[in-house]
Amino acid sequence: MSGDILVTVGLALLNVAVALLLAPLYEGIMRKLRAALHSRIGPPITQPFLDLAKLLGKQDLRAVPGKLYAAAPALTLGSVLTLALLVPMGTRPPLGGAGDIIVLLYVAAISAVLLMLTAFAASGPYGAVGGSREMMILLSVEPVLAVTLVVGALKSGRLATLGILDWQVENGPTMSMAIAGIAFFLALQAQAGKLPFDVAEADQEIMGGPLIEQSGPRLALFRWALWSKQLVFAILLVELFLPWPRFGVFPADLVLTLLKALVVLVLVAVVDVVNPRLRIDQTMGYFTRVAFSSLAALAFAVIGM
Amino acid sequence: MSTLGLLGLGVSLWLAGALASLLAGHRRAASGWLSVAFLVCGGLLLAAVVVRTFTAGPSPEAVLLRVGAIDADLVVRVDYLSALFLAITSFIAVLTALFSVEYMSRYRHDSVAKYFPLLLVLFVSIAGVVTTADFLSFLVCWELMTVASFFLVIFERESREGMRAGLKYFVVNQAATLGMLAGGLVLWSRVDSFHFLALRDAFGALLGGQPALAHLVIFLFFLAFATKAGVLPMGSWLPDAYPAAPSGATAAFGGTMTKLGIYGLLRVFLEIVPLSPATRAWGLVVALAGVGSLFVGTLTALKQDDVKRLMSFHVIGQVGYMFLGIGMGLFLLARSPMLGLLGLLAGVFHMLNHSLYKSCLFLGAGAVYYRAGSRSLSEVGGLGRYMPVTALCAGTAALAIAGVPPLNGFASKWMIYATAVKAGEQVPWLVLLAIVAIFISLVTLASFIKYLAGAFMGSRTTEEPVREVPAAMLVPQVALALTCVVFGLVPLMPLRYVHAAVTGLLPEAGLPDLAAALGDGPGLQMAVGMPDVAVWAPLPVAAALVVLGLFSYYVIQRAGGATVRDVPAWTCGEEEESTAAHYPASSFYVPFKHAFRGIYPQVRVTPPPLPVWLRRVFDVDRWLHSPTVRMVGRGASGVSRTHVGIPQVYLLWIVLGAVAVVAILLGLIG
Repeated sequence: MSGDILVTVGLALLNVAVALLLAPLYEGIMRKLRAALHSRIGPPITQPFLDLAKLLGKQDLRAVPGKLYAAAPALTLGSVLTLALLVPMGTRPPLGGAGDIIVLLYVAAISAVLLMLTAFAASGPYGAVGGSREMMILLSVEPVLAVTLVVGALKSGRLATLGILDWQVENGPTMSMAIAGIAFFLALQAQAGKLPFDVAEADQEIMGGPLIEQSGPRLALFRWALWSKQLVFAILLVELFLPWPRFGVFPADLVLTLLKALVVLVLVAVVDVVNPRLRIDQTMGYFTRVAFSSLAALAFAVIGM
Repeated sequence: MSTLGLLGLGVSLWLAGALASLLAGHRRAASGWLSVAFLVCGGLLLAAVVVRTFTAGPSPEAVLLRVGAIDADLVVRVDYLSALFLAITSFIAVLTALFSVEYMSRYRHDSVAKYFPLLLVLFVSIAGVVTTADFLSFLVCWELMTVASFFLVIFERESREGMRAGLKYFVVNQAATLGMLAGGLVLWSRVDSFHFLALRDAFGALLGGQPALAHLVIFLFFLAFATKAGVLPMGSWLPDAYPAAPSGATAAFGGTMTKLGIYGLLRVFLEIVPLSPATRAWGLVVALAGVGSLFVGTLTALKQDDVKRLMSFHVIGQVGYMFLGIGMGLFLLARSPMLGLLGLLAGVFHMLNHSLYKSCLFLGAGAVYYRAGSRSLSEVGGLGRYMPVTALCAGTAALAIAGVPPLNGFASKWMIYATAVKAGEQVPWLVLLAIVAIFISLVTLASFIKYLAGAFMGSRTTEEPVREVPAAMLVPQVALALTCVVFGLVPLMPLRYVHAAVTGLLPEAGLPDLAAALGDGPGLQMAVGMPDVAVWAPLPVAAALVVLGLFSYYVIQRAGGATVRDVPAWTCGEEEESTAAHYPASSFYVPFKHAFRGIYPQVRVTPPPLPVWLRRVFDVDRWLHSPTVRMVGRGASGVSRTHVGIPQVYLLWIVLGAVAVVAILLGLIG
């Protein structure tokens, strides 16, 4: 029993470390790639780490008094790290016994909620516009994620992430899960706040939106949370929808998962480079279509394909 | 003392409180504190009833009164379901009354004699509704409840909208109750008794012999309860009536009265209608009505600017979740007792949670109105800095209703989704309902973020300083918010009682026990066919959130030892007044709202083309009230004209009067 707990704690530390330390590295690789596609040299791969280190040492400017506002960035990052504990990375998720896909979906929303509340707290009009857009993106993306995850639950008969993963490994690719995976990938683009869906931040337009008041360590934590979240979602995508081949050896599975997640994020970066920003209504229309198309996956799942 | 004796004493104390607060009605504070005192004493007795019921089992029935003429008994009893509702009612009753004591000082020109006594009568009638075991006394208490709440809705007599809303409320609910009465009479005519068990026999016979009539009767019952609960389209009275009442009363409506629709639904479908294909069919109707209601209600709520109207639409939306859970339960009971039970538990648990956070939200809205003097989200703002406790409680309740883990709203929503998805293997369309419900829970989140942002965040639009509300208004909010957190962290604790209440109604259905359905805690582990189908353990997740949040703050955010500096919000160097650059709550989510416009059709009812003379006959004001008032007024001004203030004239009057008296006397003698 105590050995079991020890393993869980070890896994938890590993998941947190992956989400925390690998995320800036992956972001660095994505930046480099983006620069290459722009025919630029681009910053070194370690640039996100350097950015974070620099920001952490700067002044902590607070536009709103109060402890909750002061702690909002830390809580945001904390919620993303909690999300990382619910996602399998090469083996069972450390908090898998405490939360299934629905919990995962809602825990993922916590960071967005905190970001929006922070934006609205600081009375600036740009922040409020950005927060309002952030909510609308959440409203359009989350149903897509819900449909795709529910498809997995329907196929495997269990809502636990590990249950879906095991079922996938055992039964191989199916039509419904493939469609669901594609829909999930499309939603990932918006979850990561990348073009063409970065309407909430929209630097050239509303100057970072919800992040406009954030600087120094606060900005560092929000950025870090965003990068961790895109990595965690990429890992969730490959674990639930592309878990093959599975060796059953933990380190090998972990390394393979991380490599697949890198490929996914590279694709995200490519989509980001070749697209212009959509307007918020176009974004919502796009995801409405994606959501209704992903219902096809549900239909296939019902007829057992 | 027997359980029923305690119940009687408790309810009598509440009635006595109504009388006492009425007698003290001319003294604002005394009237309020008296009602609180009586509510607390009576509430403690009712709490004893609840505890005794859950430890020692349901009380035996007792006949309160025999009505010989129609051969009916007024029967009182307390079973697990009654106990559950008694617990909610006494808890919310005490807190809303306590809140009202200070809050009513806002209404300077209205006497509290038309508030506190009615509030107490409302609670008495609710206690009556949930503890009777016969249809006749159920109906009497139900009517009493409608009347008491009607007078609370029209508390502000001079407000035209309030009166309209009250009238709409009264007419719609009376119509629905008349339907229920007709249904009850149909059953009564078969068995000559109003007792629930006798009605059950009547239903059994009716379903076998005349299924069409049986379904009509069920429909009438469903209509009455759906109307009271606020399910659309029958519930369209709700967003008009709720905001019209004072906030304390609105919280009582949202926390207790609306829930009696759910109570009636459970009584009728689990106790009075025997388990049959009809249960299944009506389960479908209930679930679909619920989904329709949560979809339309919540999306309409998003557009509201008035705080209380926004929350009232959310009552409709949240009742939709309860109907969805209960409807799924009824639908699935025959197919799989486990899934059926889970659906019912989810629906009833959601009702319990909704009582807590919706009362807290209405009280918070009241606190905002109390201090800021406005209920418009675009007008108030920045109150969080001045009213931190209210803001914190409102924030907790808002996140709870939006289903943010690990609060209580999430636990019950999780049960609804998980049941629907698991049942979806057999009944695929249930999955679609679950996805609609997930989407709508995000809309709820959007609308409550708008509430928090509009009321408590950003900058004040006026310079006027405000203070936190007095302690008597804070205590109820804090108590409710804390209960939300506790129920969220240990959901199995309240679920134990919910389970007892639901299974107590269906002793013969062989429903699985709680440990088989949801594990033995402290988290929830759903097991349907195989173990660990779905899991939600709030404690580890909450612990992880706290630990990782602290880690992020102390180890990362403060790592560089950055100095802290307070700065004003940055508007890109423009020197603007904060009001000029204000982004009002009505501007939130405009494209999204635009996509769902027209979802809540506004129907203008035009009066029927009656002949003019008939309209005149009904217009009592025109031919009776106004002429009487005019005549009295004219008479009074005539009398006042004689009082000119000149002594000689008065002397003249005295002389004239004396002459007249003498003349009359002479006339009489002669």
